[in-house]
Amino acid sequence: MKPDIEQLLEKYYEGETTLQEEKLLRQFFQEGSIPAHLQSHADQFRYFANARNQHPSFAFTSKLAAKLTASEPNRFAGFTTWVRRLAASVSLIILGFAGGLVYNHWRSDSAGGITSSAETPSAIAMKQVLQFEHLPKTSASERIQAVNQSYELEQIDQDITQLLINTLNFDANVNVRLAACQALTHFANEPGVREALIQSLKIQTDPNLQISLIDALVTMKEKRAVDEMQRLVQNQQVLDAVRQKAEEGINHLVQGRGSPS
Amino acid sequence: MPVVFAIDMDLQAFKQRILPVQGRLFRLAQLFLRNREEAEDALQDVLLRLWTNRQQLEAYTSIEALAVQMTKNLCLDRLKAHARRKYTDESTLLGIQAEDASPYRQVEVADSADLMRTLIDDLPDQQKLILHLRDVEEYSFEEIEQVTGVSINNIRVILSRARQRLRQNYLKVNDYEAGH
Repeated sequence: MKPDIEQLLEKYYEGETTLQEEKLLRQFFQEGSIPAHLQSHADQFRYFANARNQHPSFAFTSKLAAKLTASEPNRFAGFTTWVRRLAASVSLIILGFAGGLVYNHWRSDSAGGITSSAETPSAIAMKQVLQFEHLPKTSASERIQAVNQSYELEQIDQDITQLLINTLNFDANVNVRLAACQALTHFANEPGVREALIQSLKIQTDPNLQISLIDALVTMKEKRAVDEMQRLVQNQQVLDAVRQKAEEGINHLVQGRGSPS
Repeated sequence: MPVVFAIDMDLQAFKQRILPVQGRLFRLAQLFLRNREEAEDALQDVLLRLWTNRQQLEAYTSIEALAVQMTKNLCLDRLKAHARRKYTDESTLLGIQAEDASPYRQVEVADSADLMRTLIDDLPDQQKLILHLRDVEEYSFEEIEQVTGVSINNIRVILSRARQRLRQNYLKVNDYEAGH
């Protein structure tokens, strides 16, 4: 046995022993009769063997077990937590949609509310049709109708005149623009309308519109339009009929100015 | 995602798999922290962490290896934190002690187990860990490799160094005793 142990010890310090051999060594040094020359190895192996018997205290283990069990119901619902999370996300999405719907509803409701207090429903309808963004979606006749609706309005506000001015200047269809021009002559007393009509003389290229603008401005006796009309007269590219009309208009306006003075 | 359900461990399964290892983890914590209470505290920390992350545990080939790694890292982290915190007062304390007695001298009074503990404690962390895993916990080289990430050949080298160094230091102390 002894030579065996010495050999094993040698292997042991080289890190070459197997687990089995190391067990043998520990067992050997656990026993009572250890030769004197091997005695110095004993402490080490005894220490290893004893160290293995160290365990956490019972108090600790029971405390830990209690902690784990306490967290269990929580976790016992591990599966349900998962389902709950899923449910929560789904309900959040639903809530989002519902919120959107309610908001939209509220918006249209409140828009309706303003209508009843300040504007007639026809004004709203008209505004909606004439909105520039809606241009591609509406037909010319719809827009003409919308413009004509403005005659029926009892109250006119800046929004509507501005809308009509925009229509006059930028609508793709000549007939709609003409309708807007006519509508605006009705509202000549609204702020900004006369100026807009004068401005429009610069913008419009269609002879029909140019003529009706001149007509409108002459009937309004709007003398500030003279300069613009002068320019039309001098512009070679403008149709002769228009230039004549403009000249007539200038005469009218200037005479009108001259006669009272 | 159904996999999640399949690997969700209940408390029973967790106890069956982890709790048998807790003695091992405790001894490891004690190896580094040298203090029973602190070792238990570290162990509890590790076990609760494992418990909260039990869904991911199946992804590991060996939960025990994972737990051992976690314990080791946690203990080393705590030691570092301690060292930083206690550096000043402990160094003055040791300085005073070093003047009138060698570190080993204090050990003389205590029994041989305390001596061995002190000597093992003096080893570098890696030697300490590998020696402990092998000679106390009877880990195979493969298992040690799994835990430490050190190759088997290197494990042998480190183990051999640790054993020899432990022996030399032990003999030094005993010679010192004999000299008296």
